[in-house]
Amino acid sequence: MSEEKKSEPLFSKKNIQLIKNPLNQINPVTIQVLGICSALAVTVQMDNAIVMSIAVMAVLVIGNVLVSLMRNIIPGRIRIIVQLVIVAFLVICVDQILKAYVYDVSKSLSVFVGLIITNCIIMGRLEAFALGNKPWASILDGVGNGFGYGLVLVVVAFFKEVFGSGTLTIPGFEKFEIFGNATDLTGLYAMDYMNNGLMLLPPSSLFIVGIYIWVQKARNPELIGE
Amino acid sequence: MEYINIFIKSAFIDNMVFTFFFGMCSYLAVSKTVKTATGLGAAVIFVLLITVPVNYLLETYVLKEGALAWLGDDYASMDLSFLSFIMFIAVIASIVQLVEMLVEKFSPALYGALGIFLPLIAVNCAILGASLFMQQKQFANIGQATVYGLGSGFGWFLAIVLIAAIREKIKYSHIPGPLKGVGMAFILTGLMGLAFLGFLGFEL
Amino acid sequence: MALDKDSNVYTIIFATIMVIIVGGLLAFVSMSLKPMQQANVKNEKMQNILQSIGIAETDGVTREEAGAKFNEFITRRVTINYSGEIISDKTAADAIDPLDKLDAFNIDLRKEYSRYVKPIMSKNKGDDEKIKEALKQSADIHFPIFVCEHGGTKYFIVSTSGKGLWDDIWSYLCIKTDGITINGTVFAHKLETAGLGSKINEKWFQDQFIGKTMEENSAFTPIKVLKPGKDLNNHQVDGISGATFTGVGVNEMLARNLAVYYNFFKNNPEFTK
Repeated sequence: MSEEKKSEPLFSKKNIQLIKNPLNQINPVTIQVLGICSALAVTVQMDNAIVMSIAVMAVLVIGNVLVSLMRNIIPGRIRIIVQLVIVAFLVICVDQILKAYVYDVSKSLSVFVGLIITNCIIMGRLEAFALGNKPWASILDGVGNGFGYGLVLVVVAFFKEVFGSGTLTIPGFEKFEIFGNATDLTGLYAMDYMNNGLMLLPPSSLFIVGIYIWVQKARNPELIGE
Repeated sequence: MEYINIFIKSAFIDNMVFTFFFGMCSYLAVSKTVKTATGLGAAVIFVLLITVPVNYLLETYVLKEGALAWLGDDYASMDLSFLSFIMFIAVIASIVQLVEMLVEKFSPALYGALGIFLPLIAVNCAILGASLFMQQKQFANIGQATVYGLGSGFGWFLAIVLIAAIREKIKYSHIPGPLKGVGMAFILTGLMGLAFLGFLGFEL
Repeated sequence: MALDKDSNVYTIIFATIMVIIVGGLLAFVSMSLKPMQQANVKNEKMQNILQSIGIAETDGVTREEAGAKFNEFITRRVTINYSGEIISDKTAADAIDPLDKLDAFNIDLRKEYSRYVKPIMSKNKGDDEKIKEALKQSADIHFPIFVCEHGGTKYFIVSTSGKGLWDDIWSYLCIKTDGITINGTVFAHKLETAGLGSKINEKWFQDQFIGKTMEENSAFTPIKVLKPGKDLNNHQVDGISGATFTGVGVNEMLARNLAVYYNFFKNNPEFTK
């Protein structure tokens, strides 16, 4: 990241758009409706959501660069398989690294790491962008889409964890107990506050994303197209 | 009995869409009319029915630790499980391709109905997801794995046909503009997911 | 050089080269990270076993320390079968050989549960006697016991495994020298609902088991998880509200496994001396 900031001239207006647009106008999750599976399934706790976003972003950026570098030598007929192999290769690396260095996180992400392979965001960006653009633009596109994806994950995880468990776990920090301790009945719990169990169950992610889209489209009326 | 249990569990309780959100991308994209939804759903059942058992054989005889023992004692301690992602996805991609060609050749009518959906399926996470879950669940024999594939596919089929039917009706409802389309589909899926939670703990 | 990107030869050469490169790289990555991954798995198991003892010295042991402390506290590793016969007996002096499948440390109860126990139970559903008979005859089902000696007292750490609402649950329980009283527990799960069933690995739930016994009038009485808020006797603990099925799973797991250990301790009084 710091390198990008040093090479200021590379940030032409067009390149900045590559990063900014995916955060809102063409958000991969809420507007293009890609990569939903993992976005919804790993959001019970904030730290899982953050690690998952980082993993997806890493795979996306590196995959974009590789495909972009190889775009002139990939045979057209087998390009989808080539892309799948590149993504699968990167995902295996991510999975192995997680298992070796952050074992606890890899346990809680379980099969969802493998599902990065079929995360449509990655295949979509490789096919639609990296195959026809230079490496630098592909990096920015990867970072932008990675952030766009991460943003939704973090928002969903925030609501799910705060209202479902009353805590907030951010990697590298102690667990925050926002409303007090539920077992010892301190803080709000002393006044009969209860965690909302529904927030922990799968359907609540769908409600939150639905409302997220509602808010986003209400603020950007030009997005209401269909 | 075991088979019925696996089927019910994979179709209703561990429903691909409602509890694991697998295959959401195509689920939301292709659920505007019941007709196309039925086509895609059938294609998913079909592909899962083939890929899960094939990947099961691959897992049991090639990838798992000690799986290569049939090649001789030298290979008994080999553990190729780190290759499972890449092998599974390769199997899925090639089977989808193969199925597409076979269907086109032998049953043009079926191809007309399923054809356009088949390429979409290789990147449908429900397919890879089912194989990865199959790997985790450690089924005892290929029959169980096949039933699991069938059940998962049926669950997915059910989900996409149901949501398509609801979306067809809801077109005539008065929904706030920004919520129309995808936003409402998410919330509907959430409500259906709540209903499916009712199957929890169900066992024969 | 005129490269025809669409020619068959080019496509095949490209695919071959790519497969070789990717395969080689993956093998390298996997080989170089494997020792760390295996150490993680092993240390986590040791950490779980140590944490379940329930003595101050091993409370809150971290995964990094677990390897060293394991050998300090665990003096003997025994594997028994369903009928209570000892089939492997190792002391701390014997190093853990990953290839010795009968070493108590290498017994993978979760694997045995899903591969051998579950089929037996679903085949003979509703017939407890038949299940017991089939379990007894299966040679593939083992029960590990770890003996910890500390301050002149012996503790026995036993392991159980079963099924919660979604997937595997398992636990390590530490039993006092008397062979019936629980001194500490560690519960773990694979996929229980976060915030509901997943709470079985929280301290308040695990600590409830301390001091509970699995004997009433010289007969085996399993420890049970009840619905929260009931009056509890010496064999009952409070459940987690909203996690009924995880509680049912815990009860089944404890009743089935603890019975084996209970009978073993009863029939081998010299073991618990």
